Amino acid sequence: MKLLTCPINGSRPIQEFTYGGAVRDMPAPDAVNDEQWGDYVFHRNGYPEVKREWWYHTASGVWFIAERDVVNDVIVRTYLYSKGND
Amino acid sequence: MPYQLLRFAMRKKYPEPRMFRSPDKLRDEYDVVIIGGGGHGLATAYYLAKNHGITDVAVLDQGYIGGGGTGRNTAIIRSNYLTEQGVAFYQRSVNLYADLSRELDFNLFYTKRGHYTLAHSDASMRTMRWRAEVNKHVGVDSEVVGPGFIKKEIPQIDLQCGGHQPPIVGALYHPPGAIARHDAVAWTYARGADRHGVEIHQKTKVTGIEVRDHAVAGVHTDKGFVKARKVLSAVAGWTTHITKMIDLHTPLVIHPLQALVTEPLKPWLDAIVVSGSLHVYMSQSTRGEVVGGASLDPYELISMRSTLDFAESMAGYFVDLFPCLSNVKIMRQWAGLCDMTPDFSPIMGTTPIRGFYIDAGWGTYGFKATPVCGETLAHTIAHNEEHKLIRLFTLARFGRFELVGEKGAASVGH
Amino acid sequence: MPPHRIPAQPGEWIDRTLPITFKFEGRSYKGYAGDTLSSALWGSGVRLLGRSFKYHRPRGVMSMAAHDANVFVEDSPHVKNRRNNLRGDVLPITAKLDVVACNTKGGVANDWLRVNQLFAKMLPVGFYYKAFHKPGKLFPFFERSMRGVAGLGRIDPDIEAVNTPKRYDDCDVLVIGAGASGLSAGVAAARAGAHVVLGDDQPHPGGALGYQSPLHSIARDRLRELLAQAGQLDNLDIRQGTMAAGAYGDLWVALVDNDKLTKMRARALIIAGGAFEQPSVFHNNDLPGVMLASAAQRLMHLYGVKPFERCVVLAANSDGYQAAADLRAAGVDVAAIADLRSGGEPTDLAYRAIDAGIAVHRGHCVYEVHPPRVGFGVAGVVLRKLSDDNRPIPDTNVLIDCDGVAMSVGWAPNGGILYQAGARFIYDDQSEQLVSGTLPQGVFAAGRVNGVYDIDDKITDGTRAGQLAAQHLNLSTGSLPAAPSRAVARSHPYPIYENDRHKCFIDFDEDVQLVDIANAHQEGYDNIELLKRYTTFGMGPSQGKLSNMNAVRALAKLNGAGINETGTTTSRPFHQPVLISHLAGRRFHPMRRTPMHVWHHAHHARFMHAGTWYRPEYYAQSGKTREDCIIAEAKRVRSGVGMIDVSTLGKLEVSGPDARTFIEQIYTGKFGKLDVGRTRYVVACDESGIVIDDGMIARLGEDRYYLTATSSGVAAFYREMQRWAILWSMNITLANATGHLAALNIAGPDSRKVVTQVTNVDISADAIPYMHVREGDVAGAPARVMRVGFVGELGFEVHVPASFGLRVWKALIEAGHVYSIGPFGVEAQRLLRLEKGHIILSQDTDALTYPDEAGVAWAIGKDKAFFVGQRSIDVLRKHDATRRLVGFRIDEHYRGTLPQENHLIIRQGKITGRVTSVAHRSTFGFPLGLAYIAPDQAKPGSHVQIRISDGALVPATVTALPFYDPQNERQKM
Repeated sequence: MKLLTCPINGSRPIQEFTYGGAVRDMPAPDAVNDEQWGDYVFHRNGYPEVKREWWYHTASGVWFIAERDVVNDVIVRTYLYSKGND
Repeated sequence: MPYQLLRFAMRKKYPEPRMFRSPDKLRDEYDVVIIGGGGHGLATAYYLAKNHGITDVAVLDQGYIGGGGTGRNTAIIRSNYLTEQGVAFYQRSVNLYADLSRELDFNLFYTKRGHYTLAHSDASMRTMRWRAEVNKHVGVDSEVVGPGFIKKEIPQIDLQCGGHQPPIVGALYHPPGAIARHDAVAWTYARGADRHGVEIHQKTKVTGIEVRDHAVAGVHTDKGFVKARKVLSAVAGWTTHITKMIDLHTPLVIHPLQALVTEPLKPWLDAIVVSGSLHVYMSQSTRGEVVGGASLDPYELISMRSTLDFAESMAGYFVDLFPCLSNVKIMRQWAGLCDMTPDFSPIMGTTPIRGFYIDAGWGTYGFKATPVCGETLAHTIAHNEEHKLIRLFTLARFGRFELVGEKGAASVGH
Repeated sequence: MPPHRIPAQPGEWIDRTLPITFKFEGRSYKGYAGDTLSSALWGSGVRLLGRSFKYHRPRGVMSMAAHDANVFVEDSPHVKNRRNNLRGDVLPITAKLDVVACNTKGGVANDWLRVNQLFAKMLPVGFYYKAFHKPGKLFPFFERSMRGVAGLGRIDPDIEAVNTPKRYDDCDVLVIGAGASGLSAGVAAARAGAHVVLGDDQPHPGGALGYQSPLHSIARDRLRELLAQAGQLDNLDIRQGTMAAGAYGDLWVALVDNDKLTKMRARALIIAGGAFEQPSVFHNNDLPGVMLASAAQRLMHLYGVKPFERCVVLAANSDGYQAAADLRAAGVDVAAIADLRSGGEPTDLAYRAIDAGIAVHRGHCVYEVHPPRVGFGVAGVVLRKLSDDNRPIPDTNVLIDCDGVAMSVGWAPNGGILYQAGARFIYDDQSEQLVSGTLPQGVFAAGRVNGVYDIDDKITDGTRAGQLAAQHLNLSTGSLPAAPSRAVARSHPYPIYENDRHKCFIDFDEDVQLVDIANAHQEGYDNIELLKRYTTFGMGPSQGKLSNMNAVRALAKLNGAGINETGTTTSRPFHQPVLISHLAGRRFHPMRRTPMHVWHHAHHARFMHAGTWYRPEYYAQSGKTREDCIIAEAKRVRSGVGMIDVSTLGKLEVSGPDARTFIEQIYTGKFGKLDVGRTRYVVACDESGIVIDDGMIARLGEDRYYLTATSSGVAAFYREMQRWAILWSMNITLANATGHLAALNIAGPDSRKVVTQVTNVDISADAIPYMHVREGDVAGAPARVMRVGFVGELGFEVHVPASFGLRVWKALIEAGHVYSIGPFGVEAQRLLRLEKGHIILSQDTDALTYPDEAGVAWAIGKDKAFFVGQRSIDVLRKHDATRRLVGFRIDEHYRGTLPQENHLIIRQGKITGRVTSVAHRSTFGFPLGLAYIAPDQAKPGSHVQIRISDGALVPATVTALPFYDPQNERQKM
């Protein structure tokens, strides 16, 4: 199994985690029109590159960010979310 | 009687011509360029030529034809979907498939086996009934059946699932469910298209799309620039490469889908068996191998690597459903890429860029739609307007919050 | 000495003091302990060991290592727990062994499917694509027949499921292969201090040292030395009979032995798995008696079997000459050596062959093999001289009588694991074989798989790899030896010779001939992947071990291209097929039980799976049907008192300064006016405005809230809450108390009379009005007592810590005895709530339902600044509504079959809705339900038609909700 390093629990098999999708910035709902809002809700960046994603260590309930190269299947780094690093 | 084989006995030299030509050079210009030489791209090329007389077409594939999803899927063909539009759409595909071997004069091994979607809970049975009712409404043969019927038709199944899963309480039974030789679908559409004058260029990679004034002007490839006013992208798991070239926003996220195959066995399983609760599907091919798969890998990954835990969990499901598989061996595992949409329905048709058409979002259900996809996209490209069967699949639906309601049927429907 | 055996060989694997009699194809044969089926049969003079897949040609030993699938057997039909698809080369013989060849009709000798050979000309590559599809009506018949002749072993439908425990393991360095390079690598890494596990799939270590010239003292000495060194290292764990089936991410390797699967995590991986000797392609190269030279050596040196009486050796390297010397030493008459190389063998071995009187034909190939007139096997061969460009020259035939051919023309690396671990192979023109390019971090290769063949070179290569692996782990080692060179080619670049009579086999498993490759190429399948899929080379049980390389060579030649340009096929798990039972293991599926489970069980509850929980569906009573029991349970609630275990409810605690703000952003409601001690129904949506959860909110304190959620949704919902809390920087404490608290719901007009007996809390109507909550002691447990209205009667939902659950339940049962209290299950609760028109998420809602459709728009607070899904609901509201959830009752006069959930509402032949919930019997007598319906049919009083499964239309009328107690008075008592 692939290994993923939880910032709190350390290196664990990837089965122990739940994938939370890409980190996305929500626009202010009033500042966008319906189509732009739909773009935020549904559209994604599916391009093959390094992604910034939410991951959750299921057993311990820790949410964190992983930067992951989704082409070469390499975890670049993982860290806890904080307002400064978004 | 296979009289056709006699000609092999009678001729000293092997009489078969090339399936399709391999043109040396890419011309400067075509009426239509199709990016993607899989089943969908080739079928579209074929129907463009056959139904619409548009033959100045080039199909470009970065590798060899059918090398993507077409060559990796588990080849299940069915129309027992959840929405009226979905059922009608896939049923058109089934009808085209049923006659395709004859039309293209190539045996695709399209074989009706009967398709069972097992239910392990009341909630699941409710969904099966929903599908059955909508299917029947559209004229598709599906019915909800009970455990007794399942056991009679599939005697080796363990309705109790070895005590490891909730027991099977019934199934959606779809007699027309079929399998086919998936690679051959690409080959034969390639031949059909080629015979009409379509050019197929393998090992030709698209590196950019030229857009001027919100309209397609041509395609950049590693073999040069090609002018075209109509371009179709039909590359499934590689779609996000293409959409980036034109900054087209889509919901697509690529996930791997794994599959595996056992050693060949003498025939013992006629039916195609799917479990909605276990998220697993299996069938026995004409070669005797049991082919199976389960749900997508749960995270984005644009790689076709295999995992051991997939093989382990598939093996677990195999034994739970069919104890007799305990002493059968898994021979090989592989994976393909699935471009997923949030409503388990494809993205087909026009885009905000004039002349640029898209066929994507096929997730785990693209193979069965190959013929109808080709037919409807050919129409769409020829008329620059969506064919009526695919109006609900437009890219614009997400911005409009008009999602299609297929989630109940395709999450591991296959 | 039995005629086909040779005297005892040093290090042989058989024990001649333990003879064994076994059965093959119904006849008894003798062998020894340590023999495999192939060696015992060949050693008994049996030459027909199997029939090929397509043409049913006779087959014998080819690799003697299960790199081919010629000897493919299954247990005889009468054997209990019949095994299938066994490989004779590695199947140990036992006294009980009773096997037959797979895929014959009438036995291997009289297989009447061999008639296919007569039609061979009509069955070229891909013939089945060209025929049988017309006329369409006959195709199913043809397809069934084809299925019948395809496939190999038969399943045994009567065997029971096997549960084989799996193991986890980890090590510093995993070495694959216990040959010269593997053992050296293991020793080097262990000496540096690493914990090393070495896996080898053979019964004994040594690899090629064991069968290739063990008589040659160097091989024997080296093996002895290596094993002695290994024996001294406690941190080197050698596991024989252990195959590396596949390598996965982060050096996760599947190790498979006879008993189990071991999942090994390594920190460094050394692949020393050797190479597969490759066959030459010529007319009849598949007849029994034509085998790899290494197969002949394995037969002699491991099993003491004489491979031939008189043979020809085909060589393109010194391995072939060594094999000739070994054969001669074993008493085989080596009639000739045909050397593909015009320059012949440059080493001493050439002279030794000549000195031994063996005729050496330089620059010659084996062109044809002829079978005997009667029987199976080889009667003689035809050699031909090769031109400068490697073509057989006509009219240069050399005829030699013999009963076998030993081929030593090349090697292909056993590189599957390397490939899966991230290596990519390139063709090296010097060694004429594939070698791995740059290896990923932590992955190393040594020995033949790395293009290194000489014994001492292999040891150097292995030592080097072991040290590099140790260095990768920051262990210090001695100085690194230089990498051995790969100068001398051990493989011939094109040992493939076409013949007008064809039958030159590229793939033995699938009967793919050289002419098939050419024909497929002619048809345009001119790249390796298309060629493979069309011809099926490499797709049989041995997955191309003996065919991939030659097919690539043939294709490269047809394309006029190099090997690297032509490419190779990808190498996927598994190296050899793995038992499903090994992979499946014991399959743990934990189920959750509530604290009251034991009581339910004792009271005849029929349990259902509700997600991962067991819940009582209903409580069985003798003489009563399920439906009777359910309706009785429900009626008791309406008229007296009943109690249901709702411990599975999702339970969430939110507290802190930002608690209210947080909850108002998560849920659709507004809670500014929710006083302490009050409860309310809540709905949550996702970002796209779809309803995803519902439940109750109870305000327990100033900043303390208690929420219930759906059993099946709570885990995911809690997870999302946690993420929102982070994103919104909320100062709250959030806890998922679902398993921490038990809960029950006691409901009915008598419920207050029961509860009051076990609690000191004042639960009178004034003290706890409807939709209020109080905390206090119930039956000695700290409890939250809420008045809820889900089932539409006076009722109390009591939440206590799980350890008190059973006690409180029993206490209430006891207290309620005088009121004839009884338990009610999930089905009764579903009926009761349906009578009140309350929705159940994912039954009355689906993946596209937004609040307005489900009739819960009232739960959306007015003028809220923000909640998840709000913006999307605004967009959805701009669409024309397509459906509304309404109540309906079946028309009174209707006496036919009643509808079920998801039967469709039909109007003028079109679908306008579907039933989501339905009760055939209700507590007040008439069938009723909920359904989605077109908005213009949603007015109470509208007549609708529900179509049931046989197509009949059932008349129903839209009814205002709730059906029962429209003024909601009973729950407010």
